[in-house]
Amino acid sequence: MAAPPIEVRGLTKRYGSTTAVVDLSFSIPDGKITGFLGPNGAGKTTTLRALLGLVHPTQGEARVDGVRYVQLRDPLRAVGAVLEADSFHPGRSGRNHLRVLAAAAGVPVARVDEVLAEVELTPAARRRVGGYSLGMRQRLSVAGALLGLPSLLVLDEPANGLDPEGIRWLRDFLRRFSARGGTVFISSHVLAEVAQIVDEVVIIHRGRLVAQEQLDALTARAAGGTVVRSPDAERLRERLAAAGIEATGSAAGELRAAAAPERVGEVAAAAGVVLHELRGEGASLEEAFLELTAGEAT
Amino acid sequence: MTRLLHAELLKLATTRLILWLALLMLGLELLLISLTASQDSIGDVMQESTQRGLVTFAAVSALMSLILGIVSATGEYEHGTVSQTFLVAPARERVVFAKLVAAALVGAELALVADAVAYGLTALWLSGRSIPSHLATRGTLTVMLGTILAAALAGALGVGYGSLARRQTAAIVVALTWLLIGEPLLAIVGINTYAPGHVIAAVVEGGHTSSELLGFWAGVAAALVYIAVAGVLGVASVKRADVN
Repeated sequence: MAAPPIEVRGLTKRYGSTTAVVDLSFSIPDGKITGFLGPNGAGKTTTLRALLGLVHPTQGEARVDGVRYVQLRDPLRAVGAVLEADSFHPGRSGRNHLRVLAAAAGVPVARVDEVLAEVELTPAARRRVGGYSLGMRQRLSVAGALLGLPSLLVLDEPANGLDPEGIRWLRDFLRRFSARGGTVFISSHVLAEVAQIVDEVVIIHRGRLVAQEQLDALTARAAGGTVVRSPDAERLRERLAAAGIEATGSAAGELRAAAAPERVGEVAAAAGVVLHELRGEGASLEEAFLELTAGEAT
Repeated sequence: MTRLLHAELLKLATTRLILWLALLMLGLELLLISLTASQDSIGDVMQESTQRGLVTFAAVSALMSLILGIVSATGEYEHGTVSQTFLVAPARERVVFAKLVAAALVGAELALVADAVAYGLTALWLSGRSIPSHLATRGTLTVMLGTILAAALAGALGVGYGSLARRQTAAIVVALTWLLIGEPLLAIVGINTYAPGHVIAAVVEGGHTSSELLGFWAGVAAALVYIAVAGVLGVASVKRADVN
């Protein structure tokens, strides 16, 4: 069985007396967009940097495609990383910045012009990065990440400081990347930025994992579940109870189940129960997130 | 390693660092040669050693090369590009080594230009005063070749030291303070022969002029020891550090 694109096992990182990440373990699925969520200071950046070989874990490890990042033969061809948007020499042009990365990675220089076009930076390619807007620098970061045609993109707070147009461009871009089979792991503390594109979320708080779920399941769990309407509601309630899912009646033919819509739908289908409605109860990811990170992490 | 060396040379070629250092170098060279040549106390200008002394001012290229090496290593931290550098090349020791070679090569090129300018200015001055030139001698050629080698060694030393220091401004200030104040103080107590600046000077002058300096080969050997020590300590420091 192929190793997951990203696997973190028992990762702990201490800086002096401060512990940034505590015994963190998770993996992300192939071909999906996974959000890496947590408030500022939760340990997201430390985790990503440990994953990318930039930070040395105190304990545990993080792997990309089953190996430590430093063991990858051609890292740029395996992983494209978008870290902070200010990691450029201000006196170097955008194109030359990419030429340097391409030279180090053994990527043909023709690819530089391809990625510049892909991120719509061709007109500014020969200008010095010092004159770029934040959005342009972010696009340049993305261009650098794409140089090696990787199948995995890791992005750390890529929407920070972007205007709405820049955020929309980023979302559309990541959707296109995922639609081509790519895997995306994107961190954010602004949940609205990623709620529209992620399939799954990993949530950390104070350096510890608090949840890893499908986005729908997360919202359903936080808001109390799924609303389901059926002409045979009583039988459905019994079958849900048999499956370990508590369900209560709220109106005629309507149940509120403490599980994700997918799970409720599966139980109903297995029981041959006709459904007239099936929807996750309308909590936002923001509410779910706040609920999960409101108290002490467990 | 070829890829990384190419990338490091490209980094140096795609900013204005080399241009500014070259302009500073040429300005200093012009100033030193013209000031010295205009002094009455210059000595017997008919002598080969006096004429060679003017060409020796090309050695300011070694100082520029040292700064180039320091900036090459510390600039990555200054501008935050170190993350991307290590993402492409996670084996950090290879990056430091590529920087070391690149700084040595570019330093040697700077010295080549400095040699040509010093030789040309001196020849022009001698010609203007109708003084017979003794520049085409083995001694002058040795100094010119020594300058190129000294600049290459200084560039490499700068990378090793810069990798260890990592803070750009502090690293440059400490290096200049050491060369301008530290080593002259050591000279007072007579223990400056093996100091880094004097070792590089020995590579330039090859024991021609001063008993304070080592001979050429001893200077090269001592410079290589300094580079090896700074390089090993620099690599250890870079490998151990978290890039946050």
